[in-house]
Amino acid sequence: MAREKFQTLTEPMFYILLSLQEERCGADVMAWVAERTRGRVSIGPGTLYNLLDSFQRSELIRETAVEGRKRSYLITAKGRELLEAEYRRLLVLTEDYQACVEERRLLP
Amino acid sequence: MRDTKYRLNNFCLYDYRGVEEHLSAMAARGWRLEKAGLTFWKYRRAEPAQVRYAVTYSDSASWFNPGPTEQQQSLEELCGAAGWTKVCDWLQMQIFCTADPAAVPLETDEALRLEGIHRSMKKNFIPTNLAALLLLLFVARDFFLALVTGDLYGMVRSNAVLFAAAISVPAVCLQIYLLSGYFLWRRRSRRSVEDGGPCLPAGKGYRRASLAQWGLITLFAAAYLLLELFGGGRGRALYFVLYMTLFYLLLFLVRRTTALLRRMKVSKAANMAWTLAVDVVLAFALVGGLTYTAIHFDWFSSGTGSGKTYEYRGETWDVSPRQDFLLTLAELTGEEYGHVSREVSSQGSLFVSERHYWESALLGDGPKSCFLSYTVYETKYPSLQESMLKDLLKDDPLKFRGMTMFTWRYLPDDPAPWGADAAYRRYIDEDPTDTWLLVWPGRAVGISFDSPTEAQMSTAAAHLKPEA
Repeated sequence: MAREKFQTLTEPMFYILLSLQEERCGADVMAWVAERTRGRVSIGPGTLYNLLDSFQRSELIRETAVEGRKRSYLITAKGRELLEAEYRRLLVLTEDYQACVEERRLLP
Repeated sequence: MRDTKYRLNNFCLYDYRGVEEHLSAMAARGWRLEKAGLTFWKYRRAEPAQVRYAVTYSDSASWFNPGPTEQQQSLEELCGAAGWTKVCDWLQMQIFCTADPAAVPLETDEALRLEGIHRSMKKNFIPTNLAALLLLLFVARDFFLALVTGDLYGMVRSNAVLFAAAISVPAVCLQIYLLSGYFLWRRRSRRSVEDGGPCLPAGKGYRRASLAQWGLITLFAAAYLLLELFGGGRGRALYFVLYMTLFYLLLFLVRRTTALLRRMKVSKAANMAWTLAVDVVLAFALVGGLTYTAIHFDWFSSGTGSGKTYEYRGETWDVSPRQDFLLTLAELTGEEYGHVSREVSSQGSLFVSERHYWESALLGDGPKSCFLSYTVYETKYPSLQESMLKDLLKDDPLKFRGMTMFTWRYLPDDPAPWGADAAYRRYIDEDPTDTWLLVWPGRAVGISFDSPTEAQMSTAAAHLKPEA
């Protein structure tokens, strides 16, 4: 299922939280993620709608403005912690990978 | 040339792929979905085009909402930004389309799609189908019990009961199939998603089952009508036709009420409460009115007299008493009766028949009144005879405020004077009455008359036993 309780984040989750370090509406989030990842990660509007909803219910983001149908969001402190934790987890993965490659290179 | 057309909706809520493919195919044939109703979907003619349809789910949507919820509006805004246009919604399913082949799909995460579908199913499909299953189990409980115990007579003694059983048993199986089908689909899809695949295709079985259900209902309803029409139950056939008409009228009016309240922007809770109130009042008024009319005009009675009658001594007598009685008072007693009234009523089904014969007569010109009544139970199926006898011979207690006042029961009697295979006499507790049940292969006769002589028993048996 969808990474219950966000123990680890999928790429779309990671980029959505990352984009919301600045206040953005949903459409801006989709555009920002597509631009940042050069189209590698695309988030469908249905998926984004569900993720924003569950992030909000988990208090990882908060709604900051409503203009007509347009809603804007911003990451919360809890969301930032989660993003930071994910970043550290990814770093550990990268460091482990580098260490392994280095060890193999040094082998006779 | 028509500009609109309606199609029976037989999709299930989780069959997102089926809906998307169907709508794209319809658009290619020049029909665009305009409105998705609960029973029928409305399409409008347009230029044939390659249009992509996609659906997503919003569990905040409801048939009773006065308009799109904030969540639905937010979803529409997001989809609009991605190039998708809202077409309409069907329950929690939100239907969008785009002519842009490069537009990002609505759902890019299959696990989230599965979660969204399940949230919607929990709001609609699962509780509705569970409630329908429980209701149908309640309706069909006697039939299932009869299947287990083998006492089928009670279930086949009238076409109406047989029809109800014939409809409710497959309906129970269908509900179980639909519910288990969804949970099976969800389990398999979850496995597929965990392995990095998509949600699995769904709904073909549902669509076939849904069509089969309508086919069965139509078939059984037609069979029931024909059986009643040709079996002398015209009143029951008329009641059935009107009942079904009123049922669909009720459904239509209830849905119109909901739609009207939605247009009036009444809140969801108030809409639900009003719709329920209208439903209950209309159900009582329509079905109650119909049942009152049927009882008032005696639609359920299959009794038929002899036609022309006359009055004598304050009672009604037949000008020409019917001659199709198996046994008459004159045959039984050898007396001359000056005034006679005869009536027959019958019920039954394909498998069994039950004919009640009733005769009253004045000995000479009166004043002594004589009565004779008997009921002939028949079945062509030997396997049903045992069940029929079991039903006829079971104890029949008369209760008042939970207390048994007395019990009618049949006890074995000497069948020899009757020339029957078996005979049973009816008792009230320990006291014998002048009612017997006589049994021959394929036929049982319940007969009542005062202190019959052996000669009368023999005469009655000669007339009532089945022809060899």
